[in-house]
Amino acid sequence: MTLAIETEGLTRLFDGRAAVEGLALSVPAGAFYGFLGPNGAGKSTTIKMLTGLLAPSSGRARVLGLDLDRDPLGVKRRIGVVPDGLALFERLSGAEQLRIHGQLYGLDRRESGRRADELLAVLELASEAGKLVGEYSHGMKKKLALGCALIHGPQLLFLDEPFEGIDAVAVSGIRRLLQDLVARGAMTIFLTSHVLEVVERLVSHVGIIREGRLAAQGTLAEVRGALSLEEVFIRTVGEERGEVRGLSWLGEGA
Amino acid sequence: MRTAREGEAALGRGPVSPERADGWATLRALAELRWRLLLRRLRGPGGVPEMVARVALYVIAIPAGLAFAALAAVGSFQAVRAGRGLQASVPIAALFFGVWQTWTVVALSISERDALDLRRFLVYPIPPRRVFGYGLAASLAADPFAAFWCLLLAGTFAGAAAARPGAWLALLAIVLAAFVAATVGLVALLQELLARLLRGRRARELLIAAVYVGVALLLAWTAGHPGAILRLLRDARALRWLAYPAALAEGAVRELYAGRALAALPWILALVAAVGATAWAAYRLALAAARAGSAGAPRAAATGEGGWPLPGRVGALVEKEAKYLLRHPIATLLALVLPPFAALVAWKVPPRMPAEAGEIVRVLPVLGFALYAHMAAQVFWLNAFGWERGGGRIWFLAPIAPAEVLLAKNLAAYGLSAGLFAAAAAAAIAVGGALPGWALAAAIALHAGIAPWLLAAGNFVSVLNPRAAANTVQRGGSLSPLSSLAGMVIVSAAAAAFAIPVVVAVRRDAPWLLVWGWAALGMAGAIAYRVALPFAARLVVRRREPLLAAVAGDEE
Repeated sequence: MTLAIETEGLTRLFDGRAAVEGLALSVPAGAFYGFLGPNGAGKSTTIKMLTGLLAPSSGRARVLGLDLDRDPLGVKRRIGVVPDGLALFERLSGAEQLRIHGQLYGLDRRESGRRADELLAVLELASEAGKLVGEYSHGMKKKLALGCALIHGPQLLFLDEPFEGIDAVAVSGIRRLLQDLVARGAMTIFLTSHVLEVVERLVSHVGIIREGRLAAQGTLAEVRGALSLEEVFIRTVGEERGEVRGLSWLGEGA
Repeated sequence: MRTAREGEAALGRGPVSPERADGWATLRALAELRWRLLLRRLRGPGGVPEMVARVALYVIAIPAGLAFAALAAVGSFQAVRAGRGLQASVPIAALFFGVWQTWTVVALSISERDALDLRRFLVYPIPPRRVFGYGLAASLAADPFAAFWCLLLAGTFAGAAAARPGAWLALLAIVLAAFVAATVGLVALLQELLARLLRGRRARELLIAAVYVGVALLLAWTAGHPGAILRLLRDARALRWLAYPAALAEGAVRELYAGRALAALPWILALVAAVGATAWAAYRLALAAARAGSAGAPRAAATGEGGWPLPGRVGALVEKEAKYLLRHPIATLLALVLPPFAALVAWKVPPRMPAEAGEIVRVLPVLGFALYAHMAAQVFWLNAFGWERGGGRIWFLAPIAPAEVLLAKNLAAYGLSAGLFAAAAAAAIAVGGALPGWALAAAIALHAGIAPWLLAAGNFVSVLNPRAAANTVQRGGSLSPLSSLAGMVIVSAAAAAFAIPVVVAVRRDAPWLLVWGWAALGMAGAIAYRVALPFAARLVVRRREPLLAAVAGDEE
């Protein structure tokens, strides 16, 4: 089995505390991999390490067969990323953002412009293409960021919370686009999300991280067994909480 | 089910009523908020150097202010003793118009107006006018340049008190305080007006075009008639009312120095009324802007076609950086403010220079603008990553060499500075007459020659001490005090090195030595830039985490 992502002992410390510890990921090429975990479990830290935004404290990672530490530019040329918090220039228009983004990945100006127009149409942003990115709604920014991640034709796509803060219509559009890309064998997708129902309908493989350590990994069927993904997730991360306390100055408790 | 009244009664114990949120409690809360944010920043990484820098800025401003205050005190003492006539009126006019001009220009172009953002406070039950007023007062207290001007005015007061003690000094104190308030209010009003004008792309373009077409027409009109504008401006006495804080304060002080307190009263009343009207107008504009939400949408490219035909990745990077700068309101503001300022200097300064000063000294104001254009644009080369927000992540996600990113940022900042310098020089020539060929060549050599030194050093400051900067016309927060101090040191060191050819050229009375000297220093600068760039690029990679935490995090 060819692996798109393979990590060994990947660790990241912040002020001596491990955000991610000894991570051993195996993401098969062509997989739609859902990387799940509660808030603060280390999902975004992992994506940041795999895409070059953060340096690991120790361990190694191979992405698309390339050692991330030895050939970071080679890896960056082949991947697309929608990071947490996005990576958009707010004072460019949507069309400029896409075209310049493509040029930064080595496309020539004309080809980048052509692809930008195609993406704007597919992502239903063409009517807003002349607006500055800073004036886009959150959902539009998410779609534009996805366009940026796709413009250079990556072999591996990293998506950090792509469905967070966007409406059901936009989720549905993005979901269909991603499913189509994987179905056509165009790329491997590595995705983190809190929206477990959507993840369950999308992914072929799952990894669950808890307190910086990999708690479960495998195909969706292997990890889920006879349960729903949400049940497996809650059991794995052990997030069962007691009753919510009232506020003393509001309602009956006052 | 509960009634609305019962619900309100249950809730009544918790929320603070608007009455209780008013007054000193609000002021204390706002002051505490600023104090805690400052403390947190000082306790964070780089906090100690920032505190040292903040103190150092005052350490520089206060002795300089005291030295000039002593001069102002002597002038004021003599003016009070003279009472009337030119000996009294010239120092008074020079003081108020001089302080007003420099205060306004510096506040609009270099200084940091550290005002409160009204938009953030609209959600609280605090009268917005209180927040605005507090922001204005805080901007005065937090600006080292303002400390300098206030010391100068205090010197004026001390000189007058020593010359003629008496009750009239209370009126003089009111005039000086009102002058400060009117100037601070007018700066705020100009910033709000410009921000409003610059919000619409069309208005911004029209405004800039009007200024530059005006300069071009002046150049054409005065070709072969140097000094024609100068004569026209000298006759236009009404222009002084544009500087109404200075004009009203001058009128009041002239009467007070002459011992006519009653005659000064109408001037004082007019000045106090002007303070109120200016502050009210600035407040209304600020409030309207805060309630209007984000800036209007300038229409930019609506398809992927087009773009600037520049080659390769660096071309795309330069296009992005240049578009960022050109769309920044500070760049537009500078483009609007610098040419008139240069014209003003060309109008006022050379005629007052003694004839025996020599050719080189007489063109120093234009040469000064070659340096000033870099200083005015320093927010862009001392905090080059400050406006990236989330976009900054691309530098580490995309297959781009950090050296190319820095180079593109430097080219864009240099282009902006060169454009500003060209506009300022053209305006100065339009008003003051043509320059000798060597002076023009020297100004170009100075502007181009000093740039690589400033940009090379600025890259390290940008990487080591980045700060997320707002995309507004206010410069407050665009640079940290540490970066401001570093900028001061960099510009001073470079200016000192570039002053050496001036000394040699003046001594030998050989103006062309300036051109060759500055060209040589520029060549050395280009080599130094080439050597420094890879080091700065490596520093970008090493500092990526604090850099992104600073620029891509939440705005404080």
